[in-house]
Amino acid sequence: MLRNLLLAFSFAKRDLKDRYVGMSFGELWYVISPLIMIFIYTVIFSNFMKMKLNIAQSQYAYSIYLVPGLLAWSSFSTLLNRVAMVFLEKAELLKKINVPAYSFMISVLIVEFLLFCISMLLGVGFLIIIDYPISWDFLYLLPVMLLQSLFAFFLGVILALFVPFFKDLKEIIPVFLQLWFWITPIVYVKEMIYDRFPYAVDYNIAYTFISFYQNLFLHSEAKGWDGILVLGIVTLILAFLSAYLYKKMVPVIKDII
Amino acid sequence: MKTLLEVRNLTKIFKIYENNLDRLKEVFTKKIYHKEFVANRNITFFLYERETLGIIGLNGAGKSTLLKLIAGVLDPTSGEIVRKGRVTALLELGTGFNSELTGRENIFLNGTLIGMSEREIKRKLQDIIEFSELGEYIDEPINTYSSGMKMRLAFSIAIYSEPEILIVDEALAVGDAHFQQKCTRALRERKKKAMGIIYVSHDLNSLKLLCDRLFLLHKGEIIKEGSPEEVINSYNFLIAKLNEKEEKVIKKQNSFGTFDAKITDVKIVGEDSKGSVISSGEKAKIFVKIEAYKDISGVTVGIAIRDKFGQDIFGTNTYYHDILVDLKRDKKYVCVFESVMNVGVGKYTITSALHTNENHIEKCFHWIDNACEFEIAGFKGKPFVGLCRLEPKIEIKELKDE
Repeated sequence: MLRNLLLAFSFAKRDLKDRYVGMSFGELWYVISPLIMIFIYTVIFSNFMKMKLNIAQSQYAYSIYLVPGLLAWSSFSTLLNRVAMVFLEKAELLKKINVPAYSFMISVLIVEFLLFCISMLLGVGFLIIIDYPISWDFLYLLPVMLLQSLFAFFLGVILALFVPFFKDLKEIIPVFLQLWFWITPIVYVKEMIYDRFPYAVDYNIAYTFISFYQNLFLHSEAKGWDGILVLGIVTLILAFLSAYLYKKMVPVIKDII
Repeated sequence: MKTLLEVRNLTKIFKIYENNLDRLKEVFTKKIYHKEFVANRNITFFLYERETLGIIGLNGAGKSTLLKLIAGVLDPTSGEIVRKGRVTALLELGTGFNSELTGRENIFLNGTLIGMSEREIKRKLQDIIEFSELGEYIDEPINTYSSGMKMRLAFSIAIYSEPEILIVDEALAVGDAHFQQKCTRALRERKKKAMGIIYVSHDLNSLKLLCDRLFLLHKGEIIKEGSPEEVINSYNFLIAKLNEKEEKVIKKQNSFGTFDAKITDVKIVGEDSKGSVISSGEKAKIFVKIEAYKDISGVTVGIAIRDKFGQDIFGTNTYYHDILVDLKRDKKYVCVFESVMNVGVGKYTITSALHTNENHIEKCFHWIDNACEFEIAGFKGKPFVGLCRLEPKIEIKELKDE
């Protein structure tokens, strides 16, 4: 068990090292990609489209709203999707080397969480640059980000166990994530849909953490703890469920990959 | 002796389903949706320290499944496997390589995968590179490597990971003779350091060379266990039986003649092996069955043994032995050539012919190329290299200064 956890860490290290191998900027890309994303949304939406929200008094109001949601979602969906594809992508290895699949899954969790931290840090950096107020409440970011990553991880593990049986899931999961993205108030504000589709907000587990970050960025205030509590409970249930299913299904999966 | 691996009553049943939905349903319900395929049944064996255990069997006998179970890549249906130490399996080459990375980086990747720590890899890096003989290519991406180079790298990593149990599946067959010898030497040295090796191959010669003990797997079960000599003989017998079943169909395209008389079957049987895999130096009989459709007198029955390049190794006929054969219409005959097979190891074919006089140029009744195949593997008596066994007398004397 300990050996396999250590293995996960060394896979993660390898993953981070190897990802941009042969590229001139190398590891700088970990910073460049989120920076470009933030840049595009601030410049385009704030300057050209002149979109302003009545929720905050700043010419960057929309960007401040948009950036944390986008960064969080991009990490959430990448993590979930990558974990779900582990059996497909690592089939060649799992067939020949006795390495548990969960080592690969955990390594994805580690890598994606680290990248998430980097991108969120840049997001906060953006607030500082535009001289927008931040507070000590920003320290709550880290535990919520971790919880979000764990939620995505366990959901990903459960999906991963079904992927070898239904290869179509490989195509379905990204589509499903795309739909989920658009029903979650990330690029638009909650008020725009709440009257017509209240359930897209009220029963949307992803909105618990997304709205947390949005509030924190806009109002420097950590609130929405009810939602985070629900997220925590759901994550715990998923953790047990995924462990149970993993034990039951992996011997069968080894036969078919 | 200390055991490294204990396998008890190991059974692996693959369940065959019509579709994956049924497979999934069965994981969660009690209902049976599958048909069974037994890949390994009730396998029990121990691997001891400093031992090389060979496994042979026909294709589909369950060898690969067994290796995967031992390596832990598959889970057994029932039975237990106790591994006392690190198991490294060379199940297929190039496993765990990332072809975009250089050879050096792949040593770290592959090493980590088979359970070496970073520090351990760093310590052994130079030895691994040296053993692989890749030289400056070690810093080139793997996708520029030939399959032989990849094999060398994989083998070097495996051997330096110093596993307690090393599983080698046909892997050595890829390298050239020089590297094969180096591997064989390295395996022998490692063996002295309390390692156990499980070796699977169809190359009977290397099995005899490397293994202390063999077992024969047939239809998922161990049907014979013992010294390499014994087990290979049973294996050959198994092949011979299989060939009999297939009933040699003599093809038209490699046979010609007037067909006044026909060769209906050519077969070789070793005295000890009872099959067509024969040790060099073992006595064997070649049976040529003939059917005559006319009365013919003064017929010559001939055979020629050719190696895998089609070169004639040896040929003789009844004419050279002053035997004149008269064939009667609608009668069947068998002509037996008995000889000690004093030829080198390798695969051979037998060509046979019916004609008049010394050769088939004047009148040929039936000529048939590659009527039968056989293999020479291992030695009875003193080993030698090359195609033919000369029997030199060797003497050594001290030279007195003149």
